[in-house]
Amino acid sequence: MSLLQVQDLQTHLNSGGEIVRAVDGVSFSINRGETFCLVGESGSGKSICALSVIQLLPAGIASHPSGSVNFDWRDNEGSGESIKVDLLTLEDEAIRKIRGASIAMIFQEPMTSLNPVFSIGDQIVEAIQLHHPELSDAEAKSQAVEALEQVQIKSAASRFDDYPHQLSGGQRQRVMIAMALACKPDLLIADEPTTALDVTVQAEILSLMRDLQAQKGMAILFITHDFGVVAQMAHQVGVMQNGKLVEQGTTQDVLTNPQHAYTQQLLAAVPENLEKSAVHKADYNQSSPGLMSIAGLKVWFPIRTGLFRRVSDHLKAVDDVDLTIRKGSIMALVGESGCGKTTLGRAILQLEKPTAGSVMLGDQELTGLSTDQLRPIRPRMQIAFQDPQSSLNPRLQIVTTLTEPMKAHGIGESQDERIERAIKVLDQVQLSEDYLWRYPHEFSGGQRQRIGLARALVTNPEFIVCDEITSALDVSVQAEVLQLLLEIRQQRDLTLLFITHNIAVVEYLSDETVVMKAGKVVEQGLTADVCGNPQNPYTQKLLSAVPRLNLSK
Amino acid sequence: MTKRSQQSMSYGKRILSSAFSGWGARIGLTWVIILAFVACFSPLLANSMPLLASENGQVSMPILSYLTAEDLMLMVLFVVVLLLWKMPLKFSTKAAVASSSALIALLVGLAILSPPKTIIYDQFREKAAAGSYDWQVLPPIPYSPSDYLRDIGGNNSLKAPMVTEKQFHLMGTDSAGSDVASRMIHASRVALSIGFIATGISMIIGIIIGGQMGYFAGRFDMIGMRIVEVFEAIPVLFLLLAFVAFFGRSVYIIMIIIGVTGWSGYARYIRAEFLKLRKQDYVQAAIASGLPLRSILFRHMLPNGIAPVLVVASFGVAAAILTEATLSFLGLGPVEASSWGSMLNEAVKSSVFNWWMAAFPGGAIFLTVFSYNLMGEALRDAVDPQLSRKAGLVT
Repeated sequence: MSLLQVQDLQTHLNSGGEIVRAVDGVSFSINRGETFCLVGESGSGKSICALSVIQLLPAGIASHPSGSVNFDWRDNEGSGESIKVDLLTLEDEAIRKIRGASIAMIFQEPMTSLNPVFSIGDQIVEAIQLHHPELSDAEAKSQAVEALEQVQIKSAASRFDDYPHQLSGGQRQRVMIAMALACKPDLLIADEPTTALDVTVQAEILSLMRDLQAQKGMAILFITHDFGVVAQMAHQVGVMQNGKLVEQGTTQDVLTNPQHAYTQQLLAAVPENLEKSAVHKADYNQSSPGLMSIAGLKVWFPIRTGLFRRVSDHLKAVDDVDLTIRKGSIMALVGESGCGKTTLGRAILQLEKPTAGSVMLGDQELTGLSTDQLRPIRPRMQIAFQDPQSSLNPRLQIVTTLTEPMKAHGIGESQDERIERAIKVLDQVQLSEDYLWRYPHEFSGGQRQRIGLARALVTNPEFIVCDEITSALDVSVQAEVLQLLLEIRQQRDLTLLFITHNIAVVEYLSDETVVMKAGKVVEQGLTADVCGNPQNPYTQKLLSAVPRLNLSK
Repeated sequence: MTKRSQQSMSYGKRILSSAFSGWGARIGLTWVIILAFVACFSPLLANSMPLLASENGQVSMPILSYLTAEDLMLMVLFVVVLLLWKMPLKFSTKAAVASSSALIALLVGLAILSPPKTIIYDQFREKAAAGSYDWQVLPPIPYSPSDYLRDIGGNNSLKAPMVTEKQFHLMGTDSAGSDVASRMIHASRVALSIGFIATGISMIIGIIIGGQMGYFAGRFDMIGMRIVEVFEAIPVLFLLLAFVAFFGRSVYIIMIIIGVTGWSGYARYIRAEFLKLRKQDYVQAAIASGLPLRSILFRHMLPNGIAPVLVVASFGVAAAILTEATLSFLGLGPVEASSWGSMLNEAVKSSVFNWWMAAFPGGAIFLTVFSYNLMGEALRDAVDPQLSRKAGLVT
């Protein structure tokens, strides 16, 4: 007897007279104590599916023309016997009793899912008392502390009165889990709970969830886009595409022997499975001269305190970094969030003023130059950004975005010639020329990243900093962009500094790898050496935390 | 409207179309357009001279010799803006065409038009009475604002509206005997131009100072904010009173003072926007591409940060109109032209309360300020992504 049975679920979203079939005839079931992973790319309807189960979609917009969500409801107050209820047709009052008590949910963003004005203890106590009004304050508090201990928050009793801003992202996600588990639900819905976290924290949270599941025997509906996480967590997997469940089965079956073409395509796009082209390997020449030489680079931000804003300390974002990036190579810069990798990238391009040290592009010293002195050097080094939403000016047509840098540096005689060049570059990033006359909001995330890359390419740079350019993209799009990058590098003899937190991408793409932690470089060398045989304990920890597709491990 | 066409619209057009989709903003816009029409064509709408007259078989336009260069410029500007409205041109091209044609009209007007210093309004009525015109076309309101109707005879002052004795007055007459409707029409110019020019001056100063504060941040920002605070501490009305006492009651001085003291709010808004935009990736990319500072500030940052400033500006126009009305009500308004505020002042001064002297100018001030506020509200709602994304559903 399964705990949750979703049958032919349809969820239609009505926006401005248009009906979007967000979930279109999805059926699956989850047994007690089992984890079901819904996996799919953004917009595939996996979150909407989960929200339909817990009935959290706005009533005016969402409707369910057909289907049923049968849940085996064991009323906590009653005798413990279970009744079968259809969540889609249940009244609000009853749903509210189920929500939190029998079905709990945790969300992706740990920064916004806790209320910042209440202490974490109060928020858990509130959840407990809502479903168990008979408990006294002291009892509820002791249960809350117990819940915090369960999710392995150290000295839980003393952290009871902490506010969300005093906790790190991983701790917040633990508190969210504690809150969701405080009422001992039968089903936990986890909507990308680790996507916003660093790999090492992600590994901890995932193992915590597995342990808790084993202890309590609850079922988990786990939503993710990451096949590595699927391999670690799921008993059953469902692959969603455009609102439809295209394939489901046991994790072993789906990952090792995918039947549906879409699943095969998705799995092939995972960086671990991408085939390295033979050319790419042969291309790297270890004896080629250094293009970018960085010596003793420091970027310190002053921390000012007191009435007179005296500098009391420094935040050492980049602390004494030495690097040589060889001409024609791809250097990957990895590290967890806040380790200073983005700051280093910007400091190299002089977008952030270094506190000390030297950055040489060829024979040209870049530090200490004024804005005007830097301007003629700018076209030789470019940057591409992470967020496809903010990397293009929303008010400018693509043609302006691409031709303006050329105009500023006197590339091309006339506007027509510059447009010609822009078309050529667009062609290189595999976009058609009529895209020139459109605005950024008309493009998808992957297209915008290509345009961002095109903008970096129009000035014929020798060196490009790619700042997490694939982090916001779906795996299949990521694969396309990575392959594109390798192609362009070959055509143009480019040197890249590729900043990322994704180890799999590093292994696929880069020739050399640099690992950063707290502003310092802890390990650097050839990618095969660093990833295959890490020497530094931090690198080892980082690599072991990466969720691998390989099931045999 | 289909989704496709909405997608291909630029950001500015999307904001405007969503702002003016509500009835409130449309009513406001309609009133302002009517007002602009009345202000631009006021000599043709309310004047004592005939628009067209036939004298001994010779058709002439007596009104032409009394038009000033300013009148010509405003009329040309209105017509050009109306023609450009739906043209598929860039906003900057439109603005350039409109302002250059207005400038040309002003220069041409200064060169060829020479209106007489003093006008004897009675002569046209005398001519008409004497039958020297075969026929004539009079403006809808056949009285100039400063035509005291001395030739009509008898006491012509303070007549109630729509009381037909010898002459028909739509809104009655004031204590001097001139037509209130005519004065209202001519005063709309002062109201509109004060609003636009004063706000324009403060916006330009605010954007330049606030933009640099936001972009350079640090020490520059610190000093700038202190200057902003100094300007915010100035009581504008008292400064205006002092200036008017020293330099005379000129409408231009009033515009400049309101403009020069009112920029602090705009500077604050632009600064906040620029501080935010400075770290945006596309601005960083512009810096990394080595674009000149002018382009970074005005092409990449300003269009993305201007929206909240436009909202404040529409409230600022309303506030400037009110300030001028307040000054005129206190009897310190511009002398060279009548304004709604000074008409209200006259209504209060009179020993008996003549409702038409208070209701019409008061109503006009109210409607104008209300219209700008309606448009400001609508713009603010359209600019705010939190409000425009009413669905609240993000997948």
